[in-house]
Amino acid sequence: MLDKVKKKFVPYPKGREIDEDSITLVRKLISHLPLKRDLLIEYLHLIQDKFNCIKKTNLAALSDIMKIPFSEAYEVATFYAHFDVIDDDKIGPPNITIRVCDSLTCELNGSEEILNSLKKKYDKNKVRVLRAPCMGLCDHAPACEVGHKHIKKCTLSSIETAVNKKSIHASIVEGISFEDYKKNGGYQLLRKCYKGNVSVDEIIEELQKSGLKGMGGAGFPAGQKWKFVRMEKSPRLMTINGDEGEPGTFKDKFYLEKDLHRFFEGMLIAAWAVDAKDIYIYMRDEYPGILKKMIRELKIIENNIIQEGVKVHIRRGAGAYICGEESAMIESIEGKRGLPRHKPPFVSKVGLFGKPTLNHNIETVFWVRDILEKGAGWFSSQGKPGHKGPHSYSVSGRVKKPGVKLAPAGITINELINDYCGGMLDGHKFYGYLPGGASGGILPSTMGDIPLDFGTLEEHGCFIGSGAIVVFSDKDDITKVVLNLLKFFEDESCGQCTPCRVGTEKAVKLLEKKNWDKNLLNELVAMMGDASICGLGQAAGNPIKCAIKYFASDLK
Amino acid sequence: MKKKINFFIDNVPVSGEVGQSIWQIAKQNGKTLPHLCYSDKPGYRADGNCRACMVSIEGERVLAASCIRQPSEGMKVLTEDARSKKSREMVLELLVTDQPAQKKSHDPNSHFWQMAKKVDIFKSRFDKKAQNNVPSSDVSHKAMSVNLDACIHCNLCVRACREVQVNDVIGMGMRGNTSKVIFDFDDPMGDSTCVSCGECVQACPTGALMESNLLDEKGIHKGSHDREVDSLCPYCGVGCQLTFKIKDEKIVAATGRNGPANNNRLCVKGRFGFDYIHDQGRLTKPLIRKEGVKKDPLEKLDPFNPLTHFREATWEEALDLAANSFKKIKYSKPDYGRLAGFGCAKGSNEEAYLFQKLIRTGFKNNNVDHCTRMCHASSVAALMEAIGTGAVTATVSEVKNSDVAIVIGARPTQNHPVAATFLKNEIKNRGLKLILMDPREQDLSRIAEKHLKFKPGTDVALLNGILNVIIEEGLVDRQYIEKHTEGYLELKKHIKDFTPEEMSNVCGISAEEIRETARIFAKAKAAMIFWGMGISQHIHGTDNSRCLISLALTTGNCGRPGTGLHPLRGQNNVQGASDVGLIPMVFPDYQPISNPENVKFFENYWNTNLDPKPGLTVVEIMEEIYNKKINGLYIMGENPAMSDPNANHAREALSRLDMLVVQDIFLTETAYLADIVLPASAFPEKTGSFTNTDRRVQLARKAVNAPGEAKQDWWIIQEIAKRMGLKWNYSGPDEIYDELRNCMDSIKNISWERLVNEGAVTYPCDSEDTPGNEVLYGEGFPTVNKKARLVPAKITPPDEMPDKNYPLVLTTGRLLEHWHTGSMTRRSKVLQHIEPEAYVHISRNDMKKNNFSQNELVRLSTRRGNINVKVRFDKMIPDGMVFLPFCFENAPANLLTNQALDPDGKIPELKYCAAKIDKVSI
Repeated sequence: MLDKVKKKFVPYPKGREIDEDSITLVRKLISHLPLKRDLLIEYLHLIQDKFNCIKKTNLAALSDIMKIPFSEAYEVATFYAHFDVIDDDKIGPPNITIRVCDSLTCELNGSEEILNSLKKKYDKNKVRVLRAPCMGLCDHAPACEVGHKHIKKCTLSSIETAVNKKSIHASIVEGISFEDYKKNGGYQLLRKCYKGNVSVDEIIEELQKSGLKGMGGAGFPAGQKWKFVRMEKSPRLMTINGDEGEPGTFKDKFYLEKDLHRFFEGMLIAAWAVDAKDIYIYMRDEYPGILKKMIRELKIIENNIIQEGVKVHIRRGAGAYICGEESAMIESIEGKRGLPRHKPPFVSKVGLFGKPTLNHNIETVFWVRDILEKGAGWFSSQGKPGHKGPHSYSVSGRVKKPGVKLAPAGITINELINDYCGGMLDGHKFYGYLPGGASGGILPSTMGDIPLDFGTLEEHGCFIGSGAIVVFSDKDDITKVVLNLLKFFEDESCGQCTPCRVGTEKAVKLLEKKNWDKNLLNELVAMMGDASICGLGQAAGNPIKCAIKYFASDLK
Repeated sequence: MKKKINFFIDNVPVSGEVGQSIWQIAKQNGKTLPHLCYSDKPGYRADGNCRACMVSIEGERVLAASCIRQPSEGMKVLTEDARSKKSREMVLELLVTDQPAQKKSHDPNSHFWQMAKKVDIFKSRFDKKAQNNVPSSDVSHKAMSVNLDACIHCNLCVRACREVQVNDVIGMGMRGNTSKVIFDFDDPMGDSTCVSCGECVQACPTGALMESNLLDEKGIHKGSHDREVDSLCPYCGVGCQLTFKIKDEKIVAATGRNGPANNNRLCVKGRFGFDYIHDQGRLTKPLIRKEGVKKDPLEKLDPFNPLTHFREATWEEALDLAANSFKKIKYSKPDYGRLAGFGCAKGSNEEAYLFQKLIRTGFKNNNVDHCTRMCHASSVAALMEAIGTGAVTATVSEVKNSDVAIVIGARPTQNHPVAATFLKNEIKNRGLKLILMDPREQDLSRIAEKHLKFKPGTDVALLNGILNVIIEEGLVDRQYIEKHTEGYLELKKHIKDFTPEEMSNVCGISAEEIRETARIFAKAKAAMIFWGMGISQHIHGTDNSRCLISLALTTGNCGRPGTGLHPLRGQNNVQGASDVGLIPMVFPDYQPISNPENVKFFENYWNTNLDPKPGLTVVEIMEEIYNKKINGLYIMGENPAMSDPNANHAREALSRLDMLVVQDIFLTETAYLADIVLPASAFPEKTGSFTNTDRRVQLARKAVNAPGEAKQDWWIIQEIAKRMGLKWNYSGPDEIYDELRNCMDSIKNISWERLVNEGAVTYPCDSEDTPGNEVLYGEGFPTVNKKARLVPAKITPPDEMPDKNYPLVLTTGRLLEHWHTGSMTRRSKVLQHIEPEAYVHISRNDMKKNNFSQNELVRLSTRRGNINVKVRFDKMIPDGMVFLPFCFENAPANLLTNQALDPDGKIPELKYCAAKIDKVSI
């Protein structure tokens, strides 16, 4: 029987042959970039952008050019949702792909129906319709992307218009321009730093006093982090985590659209403080407009603002929630699959390319200039009693005015809904909320007076994370909410460790049943929390745990 | 001493070394925690992904994987608390969910099921994953089945392939619960770049990757083997230790053992090439050529039916006839010069020793040689001349201490695959800089710091150019040269004219590249040089080696950790066979026959008188046979009709013998022309000692009985010896070993008992209980004044350069799957399946130029002959060159090769001759 198996390739040297024409083609496609192993994902984007897919012949050519094994190229290319690796004899996806967001807020707003209708409506050979995770448009749910064009509050007809007009390119939200930013004192502080008019120690002290914390979700004191990284041997590197993928979070997008240069300046000051000569900004591929703007604006400041010897590299994500985890992001910047690393060692010691690395969320550095110009007190005093600073809450769901709400840290959900969001939507009664995106757990409306800040929700089995607050109402089904979140984790699990890879899949199976096996679910969730490698797996069970604990009467 | 870390496991104080994991220390303290993705074997790093070994650490929010977590001082680790126990059990439960039922599994005794038993989890409360998410089984590979329904994504196969053997084929594609073990681009394993080393099979804890012959058609395990025998691999000089698994008295599998030369690793030949011994064509009865059947050098016999030309005989009759014929020929000339013997580099030390003793004391001359003549004779000549010894100065594994390594004229991933893995490990893990010199591209090119693709046959030019830079730029190690060498000034004077610019014109490598290479090598803290047949099989082979020796010695790269000269030995016992005297001009331990003291010693030791004249070499003997000056030949295990250059000439010569006795396991091309064929035993059928390329003496043990009436080789030699009047009465290999050890200083401290107990001992050893020396000559060389001699090398062009009529360069060599002349590997089902037939390999441009299509039958010709063979495009071949493996009897490369000899090593120029290639009109 075995002898009959036909060989696909002429077997010498073993394996597939590399096509000379593909080599020429790929070489040309990537010729404007240097040839470096860590740029693999960038090269893959170039191929995907050009052909809407990555044919294996081109992937083989790329492997050959980069002198990397086939398997290494393939596993990276197939890890990320935005690459379509296809056999050479298959036809690639059509020119237009519609990605309909199916994350919680969009689902609450009817994305499932839109997705199903679109699938029925379009010939899949002409328009490809896919589901996609959160694209940061929860305040305009339901949302979708036609090509790279975001469509807010999408309807079948608005999508059709975009498709027909072939309006598939990302648009840029301009915000404060470089000129305006500079006019209003922008980059003065950075210049002072570069000139040595302020000392690093002073700055770190000020930051520490302000209570600025890591706004990506971990809440680690920023000043402390700078101190730690500075203690490590140089060369040191800096990374910016712009992979804002936690469903319900859109604050980074908000700040980047509004005032990009304030972010740049904060970032450059931080890099200066830890003496990082190379800064890598990892931007999620779901924000193509921002990416475009960033590249454009970076060019402006490259020559006259940024100190000589300092280089900012922008890296484009490729559709993987897990890359929001800092060590997975670092792996991705290195051109690999986004598998979180084991800790210890922490990235401040062994980070990007094995070097000590200062990693920050976008919003964290966004505040640096203001804090240093206006003083630590200006920032720290903005919190509720016992809490420091303002906090950017991305609020979405069943409220009248969703959006990024800059409110005092420690505010409660009741205050947020009523004082910042214009109350609940008509006909909807506040029933429960996600205080920290998909992974931060779920609380009922009866627990609406808990301060929302780092460290305040843990005793209830929840956390604030990136401040993504999704409000749902009496019209919503808690079991559906939980299932939506777990399906998201199942899709986005990197697959590295058993508890998360198998656990999320088994959890979805259990949640799809009419009657939840609560004991088994609790056991599973506890194990996932204890034994997963990274935060994704550890927190993936939070919605289940909270539903069983706080919404028992809604479960059969 | 390493620093100790003191901490607590389950409240008991324990301590471990820095770098050890909690898992390892727990094991040392009698607690083996469940583990799936962690393999407690050398070369496998912990990956911490399965989470079956979780433990609690006081003060930490989550549990820790004990396999990857290292303890800190005072840490309190709990392994038996409810929380970590529950986690470990549940990990197993999750994984059990999607496993095939144990009884119907690919391997019911797999490590996975043992771990399930350990935590007592056999059932799952979860639902299986959707069937369309389970990859279907892949049986595209002849030897290995991929059944990913049993895969637990532990990643061990990926590490096996990428980090241990560094073959870089397996990866983990996709992500999350759709992630999947992939070969290349998720290609069927049999179509991928897989080199079939089987490391993944050995690493897989579930049976998802298995030897196909252990499974039935449904992929279910056929049942376990009956017994196991620890032995060695019979193929190359690396000397991998392995375990044969035997079922119903047949070998069914081979797995790597943790030998010093292989760390559990094997290559395709070692792992899957054992079944040749069960081939139908095995010789099981002595054969005598039928009366009146002529010897036709061009005739092909059917190895399965020798009775067309031979008749079966009893051992008594065959041995009597052989011995009597030899006796008659012996006494036909007063100097007893009409007999000769070819021993074998695949036999044990004991067999080789007995064989040369028979020739010297029974045939009464020194006409005994073996295939080392075709391999490293020139390397040995240069080494003997320079440093007074022919063996390697450092083991392969010593490269762990090098920062630069040169590999020249060798393709270790094909011919010494397991040795190559150690090089690749150091390149990948430690940044060892590999300088590759080979006209052809090879697997190592991708990861080499430099690959100098010089013009074939211009080795001396390239190496002298490099030496010129080293000397002219003052990159030499003056102190070393002063202390340990002589002849430097002559070398310096000689090398002055070999400027990189001049040499660039000859070898085709730019002067700048030559300079850079010289600097990288000379500035290394420790560098090793490895070479193979590409250096030695030239008429300037000895000069090639001289250059390499000079490179090492002028830069002080000898005698320290991470430095040394390593001619990679081809055959599994070519080192040992040479050591014990299977060479015409030396007695055991390289004692020259030209020294009357040595003759006296051995006359005394063997209690006989000896011929004081050195004997003839393989090629010289063949010439004498051709000229009918030698009339009787005893061949043990060699196949000159395939392996000698200009094989037509060799075959013609063999047919002119009055008595050709061939002792082998198959009816080889050489046996076609025999008068008597004696059925011998194959490697796994006998016990004996073997010496690998590293100077390691290792013990092979008998695994199965020889078929039919086939006999042990030492017994056959002894029976012929007895019949020639020698009073031999050896009882077995141990007794023979004792005798040879006592006349060889090199191994005198390695007793048979020691081999039995330790399995492998490197010589020389300073005493009976100290380990052998891996790196030699730090304190001087085994020469009269303890100094090495630097010998300048001149440029000699190859004997036969391409011209108008024969415009191409033909080079020959091996394929990964086929050993030497193919007599063993072509009878192995797996190896034969992967490379079933001969191809001549040519470049894409030459393919186009000649308008050839892939697989087309073409005619390859040289001045000595022509063959019809299929053509294959090979991206590793440069334009103007063709490669033909010499293992296929239907396309015998050596009908074409040139027999011109190196003047010192007497080795033929197998690596270079002029050739042409034409279309065959149908």
